[in-house]
Amino acid sequence: MGELTRISIDFETSHLVFPAIIAIGLGLLGLAIAIRDRRQILAAGAYWRDVFGKADKPRFFGTIGLTLIYFVLMEPVGRLWPNTGLGFLICSVPYVLLTGLLFMRERTPAAALPVAVTAVVAPAFVWWLFTYPFFLTLP
Amino acid sequence: MFEIISPLFLSLIVGGTLIGIIFGAIPGMTATMAVAICLPLTYSLGLENGLALLLGLYVGGISGGLVPAILLGIPGTPSSITTTFDGYPMAQRGEGEKALRIGVVSSLIGGLISLLALFLFAPALADFAIKFSYVEKFLIILFALTVMAALSSDMLLGIFSGFLGIFISLIGAYDVERGGNGALRLVPPGTEYWLESGFSLLPVLIGVFGLAAILEEAENGVGLTRTASSLKIGKGSGFSFSVFRGQIGNLIRSSSIGTFVGILPGVGGSAASILAYSNAKTFSKTPERFGKGEPAGIIASESGNNGLTGGALVPLLSLGIPGDSTTALLIGAFTLQGIQVGPLFIGDHPDTWNAMILAMVISNIAMFAMMYFAIRYFALVVTIPKHVLYPIILMMCVIGAYTINYGVMFDVWTLLIFGLFGWLATKIRLEIAPFIIGFILGPSAEIYFVKSLESFGDLTIFFTKSWIAMVLWGLVLASLVGSITMARKRKAQVDLQTSRGTAP
Repeated sequence: MGELTRISIDFETSHLVFPAIIAIGLGLLGLAIAIRDRRQILAAGAYWRDVFGKADKPRFFGTIGLTLIYFVLMEPVGRLWPNTGLGFLICSVPYVLLTGLLFMRERTPAAALPVAVTAVVAPAFVWWLFTYPFFLTLP
Repeated sequence: MFEIISPLFLSLIVGGTLIGIIFGAIPGMTATMAVAICLPLTYSLGLENGLALLLGLYVGGISGGLVPAILLGIPGTPSSITTTFDGYPMAQRGEGEKALRIGVVSSLIGGLISLLALFLFAPALADFAIKFSYVEKFLIILFALTVMAALSSDMLLGIFSGFLGIFISLIGAYDVERGGNGALRLVPPGTEYWLESGFSLLPVLIGVFGLAAILEEAENGVGLTRTASSLKIGKGSGFSFSVFRGQIGNLIRSSSIGTFVGILPGVGGSAASILAYSNAKTFSKTPERFGKGEPAGIIASESGNNGLTGGALVPLLSLGIPGDSTTALLIGAFTLQGIQVGPLFIGDHPDTWNAMILAMVISNIAMFAMMYFAIRYFALVVTIPKHVLYPIILMMCVIGAYTINYGVMFDVWTLLIFGLFGWLATKIRLEIAPFIIGFILGPSAEIYFVKSLESFGDLTIFFTKSWIAMVLWGLVLASLVGSITMARKRKAQVDLQTSRGTAP
């Protein structure tokens, strides 16, 4: 028994010990879940069709799409004016405006006005706050 | 102790509490989200002032949830779910303001009782925990994860989520500063540049709690904004403190339940309020009135969920283990200032400890003053258009992720990855709380486990090191057995209901 429980860890490979144990644990737990929930797993196709069938697809995928474009553009735009945070400011204004319009239920000029004002004021205020009082670099 | 109080300190607490109430009052937005997006603001504030802001957000966020729970029947935060049971029927019969004020007073008392528990228990627990070696520290983490998994709606998925959190936290180099060999692991080829230090904690948290919540709202079509005329606040308050006559026992019991649930690692406010509510109903002489507009129900729910606030800080400040999701984010504030929370924290940083206690007291009082006297105006918060708020929150999430490591774009992508993961996790029933706690505690668990084995060279050391280790194993087993028993009872109940429903 004493021999069985004795373990010697080589420092050179010690970084692999814990990840291996956790990976084995994850595998066993995954297997147990797969066996227990096999019916739900087999019906996953129908489940996801139902999820996306009920989802507000334009707003959901629109949010992901706009966020992706926002992230992709922020740094290249920022490189045009290095260390000024203008990449964040220039990209945030249309991002806040477009997501605001996307989330709006009844798009009327009167309802769009607060969104437009917010889209200019909020990024400008945050940019000023982080650039001057906080001295933190934005993209 | 009081020298920390400055105009800035007070303004941050009051401002934080105010913003927290607003976040809590808007369905879909939570105290956790408020803390997540305000974390980068604490960079330049210093630790005490930063914590003042965050603790204000925490107390305000938990309390604000009662506003829509009572007026709309929709819990503003998960922890106010049981407030809807009696608050909404009261509002329906024109007693909205009375119900709101009952909730506010109960929240204050719950908050203060839990604070007393924090003040008394955390230093004592920390003093005890100082004696822990790596073995006991590892077992404490194991216990925290099993408790969370045991209290998850599905134990197997709860444990899986905790393991997944640990696994993802191990991506990157085995930390040299903590005794590791510095070698990379679990890093896909070609991503070494970005993943050398693994995923940063805060972008992960902001993604899971901020972006994921907005994605879920977008998926559900971003609900219509309520108009002021649809809120049934009622004419005149009709509130008097005589409502609390005969409810002192309920208040103390519910606050204590909330505090106890808070002390259990990773268990959220919804469990606190549900337990407090069901106990109040059990002990009530008129249980049949519960669910139909009974003030005792609101008292139990709100004192229970605010009781969580102080309780959840006990394991954080004495053991370094967060008591709930929001206190998990507070670890981020400490990390930003280069301070590690654990058994030595209170002794080594008495000023910060005092500042936290003071901030919590002031925040509870500020919450009460604001919500008790201006509740009619706070009720209007639920009418703020979501299409104006959500884009700002998305932008703040980006700021938070980007500035956390002084400008790393990969952290922004981490935010997106974990935002999508957070949304997906709710769809496949993974449990976010065990995942996050696993992610936070994973690297420590690794060091404690591997170093224990390196030192002793025998697996039995985890059982035989000390009597504390044996007690901890007993607690681990008890939590697992308790969970299996509860799951069987639930299944038996469901089977019974199904057979009754289908019986001819």
